[in-house]
Amino acid sequence: MSKRLAIILLTAPALIVLLGVFIIPMLMMFLLSFQNDQQSFTLENYALFFQDTFYLEILGRTIRVSLWTVLATLVLGYPVAMFMSKATGRMRGIVTMCILAPHLISVVIRNFGWVVVLGESGWINKTLMALGIIDEPLRLLYNELGIVIGLTDAFIAYMVLAIATSLYSIDPSLHKAASILGASRIRTFFSVTLPLSLPGIVAGTTLVFSLSMSSFVTPQLMGGTSVKVIPVLAYEQIMSTLNWPLGSALAFLLLGSTILLVTLYTKLIENKRYKEVFSS
Amino acid sequence: MLAKVIDVELRNIMKKFQNNIVVQNFNLQVEQGEFISFLGPSGCGKTTTLNMIAGFLEPDGGDLFIKGKRMNGVPPYKRELGMVFQTYSLFPHMTVAENIAYGLKLRKVGKAEIQERVQRVLNLVKLPHVADRYPKQLSGGQRQRIAIARALVIEPSLLLLDEPLSNLDAKLREELRDELKRLHQEIGVTTIFVTHDQEEALSLSDRIVVLNHGRVEQIGTPLEIYNHPASEFVHTFIGKTNRMEGEVAEVAGDRVTVVTSAGLRIVAGCQSRNFAPRQKVAVFVRPERITLSTTPPGDVANKVQGRLQISSFLGSYTEAVVQAGGHTLSVKVQMIDQAASLTLGTEVWCQWREEDVLVMPAERDGA
Repeated sequence: MSKRLAIILLTAPALIVLLGVFIIPMLMMFLLSFQNDQQSFTLENYALFFQDTFYLEILGRTIRVSLWTVLATLVLGYPVAMFMSKATGRMRGIVTMCILAPHLISVVIRNFGWVVVLGESGWINKTLMALGIIDEPLRLLYNELGIVIGLTDAFIAYMVLAIATSLYSIDPSLHKAASILGASRIRTFFSVTLPLSLPGIVAGTTLVFSLSMSSFVTPQLMGGTSVKVIPVLAYEQIMSTLNWPLGSALAFLLLGSTILLVTLYTKLIENKRYKEVFSS
Repeated sequence: MLAKVIDVELRNIMKKFQNNIVVQNFNLQVEQGEFISFLGPSGCGKTTTLNMIAGFLEPDGGDLFIKGKRMNGVPPYKRELGMVFQTYSLFPHMTVAENIAYGLKLRKVGKAEIQERVQRVLNLVKLPHVADRYPKQLSGGQRQRIAIARALVIEPSLLLLDEPLSNLDAKLREELRDELKRLHQEIGVTTIFVTHDQEEALSLSDRIVVLNHGRVEQIGTPLEIYNHPASEFVHTFIGKTNRMEGEVAEVAGDRVTVVTSAGLRIVAGCQSRNFAPRQKVAVFVRPERITLSTTPPGDVANKVQGRLQISSFLGSYTEAVVQAGGHTLSVKVQMIDQAASLTLGTEVWCQWREEDVLVMPAERDGA
């Protein structure tokens, strides 16, 4: 049996499933997004999106919330990844476990947990008020901040693991070399560790951005009824309004924006000064 | 004569990991411009000591001085040292020029001067045209030259070499070894070189520190180490040797006669140690000091008849194993020697000179 045939046979089951439950439905949705009530071809679903600022604002919010989530997971996740890459054996296992353990609980349950914590009578507001730092409760829920908090919790593990993987692959003697050449720890971090972990940062940020853009459950629960993102809107169009064509068009506009932004981002980074880091 | 300038001094340096003492009682003075090697098997403490000099590890006891200043507790980036690592450790995201300029930029050297010094040091390591390349576009030997250039460009007070030749293949290793020797002669920077390869240590060093199990076995010039080993470990670690056990039969001045456990009489001349009759000793003769012949040698003290068992042709010489007088002797036969073409099983005579025999008190019992 030739090697090529073996590859085809081995991947065939997965390919068939993918074709049946992903590619064909996607194509059907795509065709649907160009239909009107009379089931004839139209561009009006897409035209509506660009004419009505309501939709553009929601796309803007979706992108904004995703970018904040990327920033929050990056800033909070990088130190954890660094700690993981320096830890050995048992400790590394414990940290990995701590990062992955929350994922054993359904995201719905975790979001309800946040609602309890962040609500007006949640412990954060109660504590701050008891200490006299604030007079009235902070609004931490049912706004963009709430969504960002929920998404950060949901996706930080991806960021940590992506960055940790790239940190593992840095030869520890590079840090020694920088140090003996006169670089302080901070200097070594910015001139050696950070640039060499760029592939991990790009992987983590791309992953978290895409996941945040298409996230549905967390924005639904943490954003409430008035602060919507595109996936929530598309869901409503399909399930409540039963406007399948508009729902489909929204879904493809979301996909299009995500692909466009991610492509621009990776092109920009990889062509810049540190392109050598990505070429191996 | 000028007074000696001491660049590095280790006083009673001790290091332990948990409860394991990995370096102890390490005392050493390195003179300015000296090339000194730490030689020993893996786990002997040589790299640990180097890391303490570099500042990556802190000694648990003793004092370290570089250029007269006590360095305990001083971080590596404030020590003004140059270091070359086994894995080259060039920054992969920087060009060769950027790698070399790294230390200069940190020292706030001006742009024009940086450029000039980078070019000068590239010429020094004979790679003037690679400034704009990235490390992975270079061969292993070239990378290590760039690493050496990067360490030298800051004009360090001390150059530390951590097994810099171990990752290279045999031919390159020899080439770069000669290169290191030339660089040291040209620049004269005080150098500490860590290696497990006795040939590298012998060929490069002014002095060698032989280490074993965290202890200094001997400090001396390559000749002293080779010809007057302080211990059996030093003698056996530096090159191949034949070891025979026996008992002292007769002592006459510096001339000692030993009868081996197999009954062979060996006369050793020029011995620096004192022995008493009936003392248990070990006798050593290096393979290259034994001569083979098919006819009985004339009137020499050390000769034994045997049978050629194995001979391995190794290019410039042949390694023969001879079963003689109850001992198995390894003999290094130079190619020009007719003995090199002897067939297996031939009756041969082994002989060696009295002064090529080394006698040491037995460190272990039995064979």
